[in-house]
Amino acid sequence: MPSPERATCAGCGLVCDDITAVVGDDGGLERLERTCPLGDAWFAARVDPARPPARVDGREAGLDEALDAAAAILGGARAPLVYGLGDTSCEAQRAAVALAEAIGATIDPAGPLLDGASGLAFQARGASTATLGEVRDRAAAVVVWRADPATTNPRLFERLRLPDPTRPLIVVDAEPTATAARADTFLELPADRDLEALSTLRAGVRGRTIARADDLAPFDDLASRLLAFGHVAVLQRVHGLAEALALHALVRDLARVTHAVAVTLRREGNAAGAEDVLAWQTGYPAAVSFAGGAPRANPGEWSAAAVLERGDADAALVVGSDPLEHLPPASAERLRSIPVVTVDARATATADAARVAFTTQAAGVHRAGTAHRLDGVPVPLRAVLASDRPSDEDVLAAIAERVA
Amino acid sequence: MSLRIAGGRVYDPANGVNGDVRDVCLSDGKVVDDVDEHATRIDARGMVVMPGGVDIHAHIAGPKVNAARRLAPEEHRGDVHERTAIMRAGTGGMVPSTFVTGYRYALLGYTTVVEAATPPLSARHVLAELRDTPMIDPLFLVLLGNNVALFDLIRRDPARVRDAVAWWLEATGGYGVKLVNAGGIERWKRGAGNVTSLDDEVAGVTPRQVIESIGSAVHDLGLPHPVHVHCNNLGVGGNWRTTLDTLDTLEGRRAHLAHLQFHAYGGKPGGRLRSRAPDIAEYLGAHPEFSADVGQVMFGPATTMTADAPVSERLRDITGGKWVNADTEVETGCGIVPFTYKEKNEVHALQWGIGLELFLLSRDPWRLVLSTDHPNGGSFLSYPKLIRLLMDREFRNDQLRRANKKAIRRTVLLDDLDREYTLEEVAIVTRAGPARLLGLRDKGHLGAGADADVTVYDDREDREEMFAVPRYVIKGGHVVVRDGELVEALSGDLLRVAAAHDPAIEDVLRERFEERYTVQFDNYPVREPWLLEPARRVDAGRPA
Repeated sequence: MPSPERATCAGCGLVCDDITAVVGDDGGLERLERTCPLGDAWFAARVDPARPPARVDGREAGLDEALDAAAAILGGARAPLVYGLGDTSCEAQRAAVALAEAIGATIDPAGPLLDGASGLAFQARGASTATLGEVRDRAAAVVVWRADPATTNPRLFERLRLPDPTRPLIVVDAEPTATAARADTFLELPADRDLEALSTLRAGVRGRTIARADDLAPFDDLASRLLAFGHVAVLQRVHGLAEALALHALVRDLARVTHAVAVTLRREGNAAGAEDVLAWQTGYPAAVSFAGGAPRANPGEWSAAAVLERGDADAALVVGSDPLEHLPPASAERLRSIPVVTVDARATATADAARVAFTTQAAGVHRAGTAHRLDGVPVPLRAVLASDRPSDEDVLAAIAERVA
Repeated sequence: MSLRIAGGRVYDPANGVNGDVRDVCLSDGKVVDDVDEHATRIDARGMVVMPGGVDIHAHIAGPKVNAARRLAPEEHRGDVHERTAIMRAGTGGMVPSTFVTGYRYALLGYTTVVEAATPPLSARHVLAELRDTPMIDPLFLVLLGNNVALFDLIRRDPARVRDAVAWWLEATGGYGVKLVNAGGIERWKRGAGNVTSLDDEVAGVTPRQVIESIGSAVHDLGLPHPVHVHCNNLGVGGNWRTTLDTLDTLEGRRAHLAHLQFHAYGGKPGGRLRSRAPDIAEYLGAHPEFSADVGQVMFGPATTMTADAPVSERLRDITGGKWVNADTEVETGCGIVPFTYKEKNEVHALQWGIGLELFLLSRDPWRLVLSTDHPNGGSFLSYPKLIRLLMDREFRNDQLRRANKKAIRRTVLLDDLDREYTLEEVAIVTRAGPARLLGLRDKGHLGAGADADVTVYDDREDREEMFAVPRYVIKGGHVVVRDGELVEALSGDLLRVAAAHDPAIEDVLRERFEERYTVQFDNYPVREPWLLEPARRVDAGRPA
C-alpha cells in the first residue's frame, strides 16, 4: 500500500509544510499533493539525481577519496571561498560556517545576490516586518514591489488568501508580469526609477510635495491610498542598496500613521536561514571573512561576486547552489578557473565543472532538518525517502575533521 | 573526576554558610561531602567561593536577539573574538555572537542563564542558537500573553487553559511562562493602540483576564518558576499603579515581575516621571509570594529588545535611529532600538536611580534579584559594576554626584540611604535567589547533591574588578576558567520543565491552529532530538 507522508517543500522561500508525499511500496516517490510546479521540480531534481555520491575530476570516486581531495583543496588554499547555502538545512549551514571558520575562508550566502539589498539596508536602519499569517489576516492592502511571486513563489497568493475584493493588490514593476495580471492596480515603472517613485511616495505619506516627473502622478494617488488603509504590507525584492533604503524608509514613514510591514520574497527555500545561522555564529549575515581568525564583514569587499571578480579566491566550496548559473559573468569566469568543491543534493552546472563534487541526500527529501521561511519562521524539513547517500551536513563535518 | 576547592571563604546562603572557611568538594559533576586525597586540589585560601551565577532574565537567543545582532555591525567590528584551539571565533558588542555569549558568561562566573522571551513559534530557532551557546545551562520562557488562540480558550473554555499552557511548554522545550504587556501587543498589532489599563478589551478578553487565567494555570500546574510578568504600561508615568494592580490581580498565586525598575514610575502618562520605588519596595516586602528582578539601567550603550513592540515604537521616535519591528502571527510582537543611557539625561538618571532605590530599599534579597534585562538596561558584562554600586557606598555616591541632579533629587538616594550589600547578599541576588525563584534545586547552592557549578573570586577591595574576573570557574565539575582565561569549552544542558497535560487538549488546539497559524499543527511541536538534547527535566507539581 502506498503510504502518505507529511512533507515540507523547500522549493522556494515559502517552505510550504502542508505537502503530502505518497511513497510507493518500492520506497519510491509516487506522487506529491499540494505542491506547485516549482515544488514538483524541486523534488524531482533531488529524489534520485543522476550523479554518483562522489566525483573527483569528473570520474566517480569513493567517499573517502573525495573527502581527502576536498580537504586537500580547501585546507591547502590561501584564500578559500564558501558560497551558496540557501538550498539546504540550517543544520548543514551550521556545519558550513564551522568549516569556513576552520579554513579561514570568506563565506557568503547566495541570497543577497538573488534577492536584493534589503539585508544591507537592515543593517543601516532596521526594518518593520511580519510573518505570513500577520500579512494574511491583517494587511488591508498588499503592495508587491519589483517582484513576481506568481512565478517565483507560486503559492503565495493562496497562502495569503488573495485575491480578495476587500484587500487590494497593488503591483509595481517594469513590465506586466504574472503577478501584475492579478493586481487591482498595476503601476508600470522602469527598473531604474525606484528612487524617484519611492521618494514621491514618501513625500506623499509625510504630507509634503516634492518636484517629480509628470508620469509619476499615480504615485501621489498611491500615497494617499496607502495612508487610508489600516495596515499595509509590502512584499518586495528591491535591488540596489539605495532603493532598499528608500523602500524601508517609506515603510517606516508609513508606520507612523498606519501599521506597515515589508517582507522580502526569497527565492531559495532556506535563504533566510543561511543569513540567520551566519549571523548568530559571527554577528554578520553575509560577506564574512575569517581570514584574520575572527569574523569581519564588508559586503563591498567580501561578497562572493567581489572576491571572485578581484581574483582573490584560490579555491571554492559551493554548498546548495549553482553559482555558474547566476553569478555575474566576470565572477563566474573566475570560479571556472579555480579548484571547486561542491556539496549539493542535485546535479548542477557548477558541480559538473567542479574538481570534487558530492551529490548528497536532500534535506526535506531524505533527511530531516530545519528551514527558515522567508518571514523567518523555522519549519521542520522531513525525511520522506530513504537514501544511501551521505548528507551534506556529514560531508561538511567530515571535511572539517580532515582539515583540522 | 574529583576536585577539592580548599580553604576559601564560602558564601552559600541557601545552606546558611556565610563566609566560613571550608573546603568545597566536587565529584562526577556534583557537590559532595568529601573527596579522597587523590582529588585535584585548588588552593582557594584568601579567596571567595560562591555557587555559579544564575541569570534570571536576559535575552541571548532567538530571532529577536539575532535581528539585534544583524543590526549592529559597527559594534561587532570593534569587538572581535579570535578562534583558538578550544574556542570558536565570533564577535561581541551589546549582542555577542552565540559562542562568544557563552564564553563571556563563563568568564563572568555565570553558569545558568534564562532566555526570557521566546515566541513559541520560534522555538526551533531559539533552540538552535542555544545549541551554539556553550558553557552555560540555558532555559527559556515562552511568551503566552498575547496569543489569540489562547485568548479564545480563555473566553470560551477557561478550564482548559491549564492543559494548553502545559502543552505549549512541552511543544517548545520551554521552562516557564512569560507574559509581556498582556493583551497590549495584540491590541497594538490590530491598530487599536496599546492598552492603558488592565480592563481594556482586546479580542474579547482583558489584560486582567489573561493575567489571572494564565497566572492560575501556572500556579495550578505547580511549575517550578511562577508566571514571569512584564507588566503593562512599561516606561509610562504612573505605571506603578498598573504594577500593583497586576499583583493584586495575581493575589493568592506566586508571580515574578521582570525588570521592576521600568514599572515603578509615578507621575502621569506623558508627564514628568517620578520614583515610586519606595512604595513598590514596601509592597513587595509585605507580599512574600511575589518576587522581581530589577532591570537596572547602566549608563552607556544598550540595545532595547522586547516583545513589547509599542514601547519600541516610542523609543524609535525618541532616538530617530535604527528600529526593528517584527510581528509574529497569533503570538506576539517584537521591537528593537539601540539606545544609550546618559548620566546627564534627567529621565535616564532617574531610571538609574530608581533601580538603585529598589535594590537598597529591598527587605528581602531572596525576592529582589539582580538583572539589567540584558541588553535592555545594559550588557551582562556590566554586572560587576552594578555589584560595586551596591557594595561600595563611596563609589556609589561618587556616581550619584555625576548624574543629573534634578533626577537624583527625586529619589531617596541622598537621604542617608547608606546601605552596602554584603558578599552574602550579593551571593543571594546573583545566584542563590534566582535559582530558588526558578525552582532549580540543583543550582545556586553548594550543598551535597548540587550541580558542581562554582565560581572562585580573588577577594579584592575593588568589587567591580573582583567580580569581573573570577579566578576559577567550575562548570559541572570541570575547571573551565583559570586565572581569568577560558581553559575548557563545553556544552551545557537545556533545562526544561516536565508538566503533564490532558492529550485531549491537542484536538481543541488543532482547530484553533488551522485557522490562525501558517504552519501546520503537526509541524509546530519541536521533536528533533538534535535541538532538544542534551536536556534535563525539572518536574512540575512539586511543593513550592
